[in-house]
Amino acid sequence: MPANTASQTLARPLPDTPTPEPATASYAVEAKALTKRFGDFVAVDALDLNVERGTVVALLGPNGAGKTTTVRMLATLLRPDGGSASVAGHDVVTEAEKVRREISLTGQFAALDKNLTARENLVLMAMLRGRDRKAARKVSDELIERFDIEEFRERLVKKLSGGQRRRVDLAASLIDQPQVLVLDEPTTGLDPRSRQVVWATIRDLIAGGVTLLLTTQYLEEADALADRVVLIDHGREIAAGTPAQLKAQVGEQRIDVVAVDSAALADLQSRLGERFEVRVNREQRTISVPAPGGSADLALVAGAVQDSGIAVDEVALRRPTLDDAFLALTGHHVEQDQGNTDDDDSEQE
Amino acid sequence: MSTTTIAQTQTTGQRQLPDGGRERFALLRYVRDTLLLTARSLRSIPRVPERLLDVTIQPIIFILLFLYVFGSAIHVHGISYKDYLFPGIIGQSLAFGIIGAGVATSNDMTEGVIDRFRSLPISRLSIITSQVMGQFCEALLGMVIVIVFGLLLGWNPQLTLAHGIELIALMMLGIFAFTWTGVFFGMLVRSPDAMQGVGFIVVFPLSFMAGTFVPIAGMAAVPRAIAEWDPISALVATVRGLTQGVHSSGSWQLDHPELAMVIWCAILIGICVPLALRRFNRTLAS
Repeated sequence: MPANTASQTLARPLPDTPTPEPATASYAVEAKALTKRFGDFVAVDALDLNVERGTVVALLGPNGAGKTTTVRMLATLLRPDGGSASVAGHDVVTEAEKVRREISLTGQFAALDKNLTARENLVLMAMLRGRDRKAARKVSDELIERFDIEEFRERLVKKLSGGQRRRVDLAASLIDQPQVLVLDEPTTGLDPRSRQVVWATIRDLIAGGVTLLLTTQYLEEADALADRVVLIDHGREIAAGTPAQLKAQVGEQRIDVVAVDSAALADLQSRLGERFEVRVNREQRTISVPAPGGSADLALVAGAVQDSGIAVDEVALRRPTLDDAFLALTGHHVEQDQGNTDDDDSEQE
Repeated sequence: MSTTTIAQTQTTGQRQLPDGGRERFALLRYVRDTLLLTARSLRSIPRVPERLLDVTIQPIIFILLFLYVFGSAIHVHGISYKDYLFPGIIGQSLAFGIIGAGVATSNDMTEGVIDRFRSLPISRLSIITSQVMGQFCEALLGMVIVIVFGLLLGWNPQLTLAHGIELIALMMLGIFAFTWTGVFFGMLVRSPDAMQGVGFIVVFPLSFMAGTFVPIAGMAAVPRAIAEWDPISALVATVRGLTQGVHSSGSWQLDHPELAMVIWCAILIGICVPLALRRFNRTLAS
């Protein structure tokens, strides 16, 4: 993955830090003070966002943070109430039609006609993009091969699994090789296996040099795919930087040991504290130990717990979540009503 | 609706548009996109046959119920109940087209596919016209089914050629107006279920009291007052007047059903078409 420019230091809560910018052109997506209100609710609040050509930027945030609203404005599906944005140098309001040629948005819910087959969908989209039937079939068949759709190409979309739909959806997004590809929560609601498949597909696209803006609720996903992560909440930027910078702040994976009661917690704290660097969360009776070594560290910690003879409820390896990132960067958790970082969003049809 | 400038040339080298001249033919493109999208919605009919229930099976059930279950208790002066009933059923199924179009539209809107179409470099007008055309075809098909079924059961319309042509023209106008109405309401409501609910609460009673099954003249004062100005009454009265030569009276619109129907359609089209277009061009609820 390409490295990033120097200007991307971590910007702490105040989003308005002016970043030195080379004059336009190099940005595939450029948004300045982009704002969208729905009644009194400010969904996107003076958001600045730049995506350099050929890079992958992840817009990371909880439900309701304004991710979808932002990308819908960029894709000309929503009209901004303030600020400006351009895609491939074209203004999203005044040159909407040109923008639509350069950007391809794959929404949260598969943007396919569920009563058509996978292939019929691709052919239709290709024809709507100006091809005659023959050329449309040709490009569809190429995409079917590239995205491994072959085995379910003649199946109705409504009968496909979530992961299969997502693949067809991605294929449909790439018919005209858009300059900018936008994926809105590409793996939300997918099971872990489908998620891996979609990630692999996205990695192929990235290797092919596409400019990608993706939104996600998963820190892990941003880390896995993006060159640069922009953490947003309430429509504002909270932090931005490379995944490495973000992780340096948030912390790597860790091991959580959950004690059976507070007495056990105190014992554990002193025993484990002798050997490891520990952090204690009394409310949750949890002791956290950083685990850069992953499962090797898990074995060590589990061994130490075993040796101590203190009863525990759970010893588990945890990857940092969006909630951890929020806690580390803003000092507070993701708000309850915004849903959580866990896979609790059921797949919506 | 944005149009592209003629002189616009592709600046991006990496991608080839197979027919580079398309920008020059905005109208042609619009027609082509509309037809493609209409074909897409028609293609799904055999795959979701239940979508046609409201314009096919439902009127047939009403026909059977009223003809063979309630019919013996209903006597309309000067006309056999069969001949009285069919024009009513035709008017009613026309009105049900509102619900059908609304449900289909809100179905489309709540799914991502319309967003995909909207983000394509195609005319947005073609998306909505194709929606209307698809629904129009469905309603037309339903109408044909009802008429054929009626003729099979022995309905005996007394049509002159001139009346036949007038009837077809008025029905097309009616379907057009009601389809747009349905499409507009389909965009307003939050879900297909909500559309179904609204349809049931509003269209259902209005279509029953429109002189569909029993004469308006015999109704109690309140429903009668409503029925006399119910747009569907104008529809039913029009069909009945043209096919059976039977005229009702009681209000201006019942005395002049054809004219009233044209006015109603003009009002619906005048309100719903611009509002639907405006609504479509602005945001979708999300």
